[in-house]
Amino acid sequence: MAGMPLVETSELTKRYPGVTALDALSVRLEPGIIGLVGANGAGKSTLIKILLGLLQPTSGSATVLGFDALRQGAQLRQFVGYMPEHDCLPTDMTATDFVGHMAQINGLPHAAARERTAETLRHVGLFEERYREMRGYSTGMKQRVKLAQALVHDPRLMLLDEPTNGLDPAGRDEMLDLVRRTGTEFGIAIIMSSHLLGEIERVCDHLMVIESGRLVQSAAVATFTERTQVLAVEVESRAEDLVAQLVQAGIEATCEGRTALVRVEDDRPYDLIRDAVVELGVGLVRMERRRQSLEDLFRDPRTKEADRAAV
Amino acid sequence: MQRSEPAAGSIYDLGYRRYEGPRLGRRHAFAALYWHSLRSAFGMGRRASSKVIPIGLAVLTLIPAVIQLGIAAIAANVVEVYTAWNYYGFIQVTLSLFCAAVAPELVGRDQRTHTLSLYFSRSLLRSDYALAKLAAFTTAFLLLTVGPQTVLFVGNAFAGNDTMEYIRDNWRDIPRVLVTATAISSLFASLGLAIAAQTPRRAYSTGAIVFAFSVMWVVGQVVVQATDETYGRFALLLSPLHVIRGTVLWVFDVSPERGSTLALADFDLAVYGLACAAAIGVGVLVLLRRYERISA
Repeated sequence: MAGMPLVETSELTKRYPGVTALDALSVRLEPGIIGLVGANGAGKSTLIKILLGLLQPTSGSATVLGFDALRQGAQLRQFVGYMPEHDCLPTDMTATDFVGHMAQINGLPHAAARERTAETLRHVGLFEERYREMRGYSTGMKQRVKLAQALVHDPRLMLLDEPTNGLDPAGRDEMLDLVRRTGTEFGIAIIMSSHLLGEIERVCDHLMVIESGRLVQSAAVATFTERTQVLAVEVESRAEDLVAQLVQAGIEATCEGRTALVRVEDDRPYDLIRDAVVELGVGLVRMERRRQSLEDLFRDPRTKEADRAAV
Repeated sequence: MQRSEPAAGSIYDLGYRRYEGPRLGRRHAFAALYWHSLRSAFGMGRRASSKVIPIGLAVLTLIPAVIQLGIAAIAANVVEVYTAWNYYGFIQVTLSLFCAAVAPELVGRDQRTHTLSLYFSRSLLRSDYALAKLAAFTTAFLLLTVGPQTVLFVGNAFAGNDTMEYIRDNWRDIPRVLVTATAISSLFASLGLAIAAQTPRRAYSTGAIVFAFSVMWVVGQVVVQATDETYGRFALLLSPLHVIRGTVLWVFDVSPERGSTLALADFDLAVYGLACAAAIGVGVLVLLRRYERISA
């Protein structure tokens, strides 16, 4: 496995009559927890289905775990777990029966399937409820069963399509925590799609952004956020003047009300801020390091302009 | 964010271990789906109310055999109301109802609940799914056809004065029953699933199956009995129950009763055998094609 990419696609294209869902998408992903971000209709589900070998691309190639997704779909899928976005549970079966059945369809012998089912359901946090018919389950419990059926055969890769769909904030937190734990503690590679950057940031260590079927960005989450450490300097007045002085000294800074947002790459800005504050004679209220969130990045003026241009 | 190597202790605490055992692949998946589907054909693994109809109908198929055994107990080998060759005629309505009730359960449900995408995201191929369902449904029908025939044969053999003599005189019925039961089971299963797989809506597929068996039977009767159309008799070949009747008579080498629809149509009985094989083939093809294209 060492050195082998998790996923490698080359010029992957999928066209439907009148719509291009994926447009010459080439990407190489290393094992880890990968966030797949894009607006609705950006091509996330199409990409996931191609990576599962469920959908044939119009052109291009995709290799997953070293298998050719186009030709070796059946072998590949033994080692992949898939959690679809939509409802997919038969309501008149118990979670135990259903997940056990799915484990057998994955090729696990009967006894092993039962054992793994019990373990997996416990892992996702379903206890006594697992002997009840799923018709009475809450959305959160259903999502857990969906996750369990993707995990029961101990896959090497899990593809999770919008795992927090329909969950309330508490359920969302629990699901994200579960995904993160599954990825980090058990070393299972995960590709998780979402349209919420905040979720990706909390869980993933790699981010892949697609838009209208094209790859916009693929990089470690850390490189997005570390690069952009921001220091928020709140002053009693004259924030504009402070910003002007810092900019003059060659430091990137913007003004937001009574707060100056200063980009810090090393220790130099701290001294400059201190000197500037003393020189201007303004009261310094607070200084705080702000880790810029991914959402801020995508609200970057440049993207905004690009958006406007697109409209 | 660093990814830590899984530590054995913490994994044990959470109850999660890596699976190092065998992965048996497609054949095992096929067998698992077959067994699961056969059980669910009789409502096993589901709430009690799902068992009532399929098991009730299965019991109904046994009733003629039990009645015959009652008669045999009183007047051994004298009155034969229900025999191997005419048995299917008495249970054809029950079999049609079983088909209409169970086929939507077997294939419509996974479409209704969108569970298909979970099957197809595993090592099963789409054709494996369709064929496992078909094999399971065919087996269910074999239980409903071979089962009562066995009761009838064994019961008759022991009811008479001389068991060995009964077997000597009637052993030819055994292969004939097996052949006809297989043909009938395959026909019901393939047509039933081919129809039911077209829609997730239960009511529609049940209605369509009832139509295919009963309404086509009535049409066949009326066209042949009540009109003088030269080509009208071909309508019988579109009625699955007439095809079954003709095939059974052909295999058991019995002539149709004088004045019956089959006698009026006056086909060589082998034609029904061919029609039966053709209908099974069409059913299987339609089923496979449906699963090739269905989105999941």
